[in-house]
Amino acid sequence: MAEPLLEIEKLEAGYGDVQVLWDVTMAVEPGEIACIVGSNGAGKTTLLRTISGLIKPRGGTIRFAGGEIGGRAPDHVLGGGIAHVPEGRRLFKGLSVRDNLMLGAYLRDDREAIEADLEKVLELFPILKDRARQDATTLSGGEQQMCAIGRGIMARPKLLMIDELSLGLAPRLVDRLGEALIEINRTGLTILLVEQDVMTAFEIARHAYVIETGRVSMAGSTKVLGDDPRIRQAYMGL
Amino acid sequence: MDVGQILANGIVLGALYACIAVGFSLVWGVLNVINMLHGSFIILGGYLTYFAWAYSGINPVVFLPVVALILYGLGFAVQYLFINKVVSAPVLTTLTLTFGLDMILYNVMTVVFTATPRRITLDLGSVDFFGVILPVDRVVGMALALILTGLLYAVMRTSKIGRAIVAVRMDRQAAELMGIRVNRIYAITFGIGALMAGAAGAVFAMVFPVTTNLTGAFLGKAFVICVIGGLGSVPGALVGGLALGIIESFSGYVLGPQHAITVGFVLMLILLVVRPTGLVGVKGYE
Ligand SMILES: Nc1ncnc2c1ncn2[C@@H]1O[C@H](COP(=O)(O)OP(=O)(O)OP(=O)(O)O)[C@@H](O)[C@H]1O
Ligand SMILES: [Mg+2]
Repeated sequence: MAEPLLEIEKLEAGYGDVQVLWDVTMAVEPGEIACIVGSNGAGKTTLLRTISGLIKPRGGTIRFAGGEIGGRAPDHVLGGGIAHVPEGRRLFKGLSVRDNLMLGAYLRDDREAIEADLEKVLELFPILKDRARQDATTLSGGEQQMCAIGRGIMARPKLLMIDELSLGLAPRLVDRLGEALIEINRTGLTILLVEQDVMTAFEIARHAYVIETGRVSMAGSTKVLGDDPRIRQAYMGL
Repeated sequence: MDVGQILANGIVLGALYACIAVGFSLVWGVLNVINMLHGSFIILGGYLTYFAWAYSGINPVVFLPVVALILYGLGFAVQYLFINKVVSAPVLTTLTLTFGLDMILYNVMTVVFTATPRRITLDLGSVDFFGVILPVDRVVGMALALILTGLLYAVMRTSKIGRAIVAVRMDRQAAELMGIRVNRIYAITFGIGALMAGAAGAVFAMVFPVTTNLTGAFLGKAFVICVIGGLGSVPGALVGGLALGIIESFSGYVLGPQHAITVGFVLMLILLVVRPTGLVGVKGYE
């Protein structure tokens, strides 16, 4: 097996007096789509925030592409190759779609490559091309998610983490976004998807980690986990 | 005096006001800091330009970019060293801090420069424009003020730093996820605010006398303009500045110049009640 791209060991993190993550160990292989699933408040967002440096870990290690990044500032983590598409899109109000996308490339200064990547994003999500000059927060939910993902891609990361891809979106749109992710993944970008909607996540991802109250309760290939009666009962309502 | 002349005087004054307020508005909008130092920054810019001109005899416009850069450095340092430590504290804390820093700067300026009113005299004569008579130095001052304000607008709209400033204003955490170092952007924003103040002061000294006694008046005007025009946008400051200039000019004519300032504040109070977002509503910082 290849060396994992992202390798987390015994991670502990939280807010103030509240510890949220307990002894989290997981890995993401280069080139795959992996997912983290779990119910409300399980700690999925907290995990992504700890990886991207918004929260300092209290213990454990986060290794990425061979180097330790635990506790590093967000600009360092992003510069190292991890982009984080936050829960709820969090597009910048008052800025156009194009400006939002360009902010994804804030740390880069290879102008021509940035323009080329912008073209690629607009090809991947053609609707954004028509909306390029519009205030990004006036887009529909699905378009906003496309813009947020595009903004993440604009950083030209090695790993793209997406928090709640499907949140508040119609099933058809989620399918469309899932296809787009698979397409991006084929170009070599590794993806870590966080989802409450386990069905969707398992359709897209190859490996899954199930998080319950801040701990990894199950892990494995989505094929195997998808047939596990515990998962089917707890998360798929089957 | 005819209406055209009063209006023209108001517009000249208003352009200067816009330039005075735009940096204050930027800092307030982005950092949520009411910068009590702003008036002193303006006067500092004015004095530096005056003395550079007085000692060298060179056209003061040449010194404007230099003075602006010095003020930028000063603003950046003040934010980086002091305000960034407490920037997420309630607005009262930063207000108190900038108030304290202002006392220091004010006293230093009074000692170094004395409070003697200083004015750069260019003796450019005046122009007669369809019966409206305008001194050329005022026209130059107005043009410079509008150019500076326009430049800030362009920087905010089109540059990478401008985008980053808006991003930080709108969503600090999401901005961090873009790799933006928020404290650095705060310092740059504060630096730009000081730069605009310094530049406005330089322009002001070419048109009116400057003295340390004016710091409070400038701060008050910046405040009124932000409330009139709406916080956090260049167009807002421009509209607010022009509105205040024109109102002061007319009310000064009708009621006497000593009441012009009162009218500005009364208008601000009315607007606060009727339209708290100002004449130009708040959107992104543009
Ligand atoms: N800023 C915060 N301060 C304090 N506690 C927080 C904060 N953010 C989240 N928490 C707590 O941490 C726990 C995990 O939250 P988190 O957002 O990571 O869950 P999640 O798995 O992403 O949930 P969801 O599926 O609803 O997005 C929750 O109990 C939540 O109340
Ligand atoms: Mg979440």
